[in-house]
Amino acid sequence: MVKINDELKQILDEPDTLKVLAVNNREGVPHVVFKGTLHAEDNQFVFYDLLQSSEINKNLVNTIWFEKKLAINILSKDRRSFHIVGTPVKSVTAGKYFESVYENIQERFGRDTDLNAIWYIEPEQIQEVSFAYRQAEQREKFPILAHLDQITRRDDDDE
Amino acid sequence: MSINEKTHWREKELSYDQVIDKYPDIPPILALKIDVSRRGIAYTDAAFAKVDSNKHHVEPFNYMIGHGKQISPIGLFLRDGSVICQGHQEVYDWTYRDPYILDVVDDKLVIVDNDRIFEEAKFWEKPDFYDKYTSNGTPMREIASARPQRLTIAPATKCHFWDVPKEGCKYCALFSAHRSANDEGDIRDDKWFSDVTETVEEALKQKGRYASFHMTAGSTLSGKEIFDDEVDLYIKTLKAAERVIDAKKFPVKLVASAFSKKQLQRMYEETAITTYTTDLEVLNKNLFGWVCPGKNRLVGYDEWKHRLYDAVEIFGRGNVDCGIVGGVETAQPNGFEDEQEALNNVLTEAEEIASHGVSFADCVWNTLPGAIFMKQKTPSLEYYVQLALGLAEVRRKNGLYIYTDDYRRCGNHPNTDLARID
Ligand code: SF4
Repeated sequence: MVKINDELKQILDEPDTLKVLAVNNREGVPHVVFKGTLHAEDNQFVFYDLLQSSEINKNLVNTIWFEKKLAINILSKDRRSFHIVGTPVKSVTAGKYFESVYENIQERFGRDTDLNAIWYIEPEQIQEVSFAYRQAEQREKFPILAHLDQITRRDDDDE
Repeated sequence: MSINEKTHWREKELSYDQVIDKYPDIPPILALKIDVSRRGIAYTDAAFAKVDSNKHHVEPFNYMIGHGKQISPIGLFLRDGSVICQGHQEVYDWTYRDPYILDVVDDKLVIVDNDRIFEEAKFWEKPDFYDKYTSNGTPMREIASARPQRLTIAPATKCHFWDVPKEGCKYCALFSAHRSANDEGDIRDDKWFSDVTETVEEALKQKGRYASFHMTAGSTLSGKEIFDDEVDLYIKTLKAAERVIDAKKFPVKLVASAFSKKQLQRMYEETAITTYTTDLEVLNKNLFGWVCPGKNRLVGYDEWKHRLYDAVEIFGRGNVDCGIVGGVETAQPNGFEDEQEALNNVLTEAEEIASHGVSFADCVWNTLPGAIFMKQKTPSLEYYVQLALGLAEVRRKNGLYIYTDDYRRCGNHPNTDLARID
């Protein structure tokens, strides 16, 4: 199993970080949503689904039932981006721990906010995909993948 | 000698793996739940040693039946957030199939069959109100029970279809401690109603626990019109609960007798009720007469159906639900011998009823002590899987919701578990 490193955990906890989840529905059509509550616990990604009738909830149930995969993308304030592939392994829908998260959600978002499920996702692949990082990586590994005008001699090349 | 050595049941039907392969639309974890519900689950000593009665929800064994002799948890959580509504099941000399085993491996509770570990499970947790008493000194656990997200009150512990010997439903083991003609069940006086108010108030202090308020009871036949007294009892109980629930309409799941339109109108107008369930149990007119003789004699199959349709006019499409005991149509000697014929029959009738706006909740028929059918043989896993998939498709095709009886608000119906992905 791949490890969620401390740097990524820290990025996840920063309020300005954007976190996106992509899960296919039963027909295989991808559905993409932002999930502000996504964070890491031990070595799993965890988030709180607030609406039982949500598309993401249905798709996650389908994913856990038929052992399919989902994708997550995390974009930090300084535009670093991480692509994660994982599998949902657990959905907690009741019990003392659920109740403690429910109370916490109500404190944060108000008394009318419900909690549907706590989802646990096990990562299988974590990859930095920030543009600068991927650009440097591609240049290094596959120099052939560039338009030729980028390697024409330029006036300032000799300086 | 093992049960299989005696009955050879494993050689006579498709195995779990074969069923999963043949029906790719059935989630394997749900097929397991169906199979556990069908065959039961027996706890090992190690599993019983894991029970902490301060933490887990335990009841006297067969508590709904009423002659408990052993304490057991009453249900299990699975990792997809669904539940299995079953506690430890005894093995009797007439048991036809081996039950699954709940064991402990690597300190974890696991569901096992034939030495293969299927899933990890967890016991349901004890409701906070369970050790508390009302101001009358009544233990609150005698007033209400619970599932992980549902609070249940049973206003009547006697089903009067049993007043005429053998007229109760043949698969039924509910309230079997109160079947003699002179037993009126537990008393519901003013003290009891005030206990209900206090218990509901106390239960709802546990934030995030309950998503549904469930009422069910044995049928009460008395009154000017049949069931009038039952309607009165539910209204009084709901009013007792409504003293502490601050909402115009709260999610009540009422599972009751087939009330007339006048009675339903009264319930709708006088209480906060939003949905209504009444159970045809077996979707075949002839078998209904044999399996549910009391219901048949006093109401009748066609009239029961029409009362469901009347209810749709009041509560709306998808807010009326019909419970069935899936599989009981194969009971012998009068039921279908051929499973495919049984399935076609049930699904055709379900389609017709659903077209009127009625949803279904399918219980897996399991033979329980206390039932007339306790020594019957239930159908194959393949049958139950096809039934769950077929009923889910009927609901989908008719555009009906089933939130009132879903995996969270009930948890005991394979076909409504399937609605989680619709
Ligand atoms: S109506 Fe039938 S199923 Fe319901 S409690 Fe009475 S005998 Fe049992």
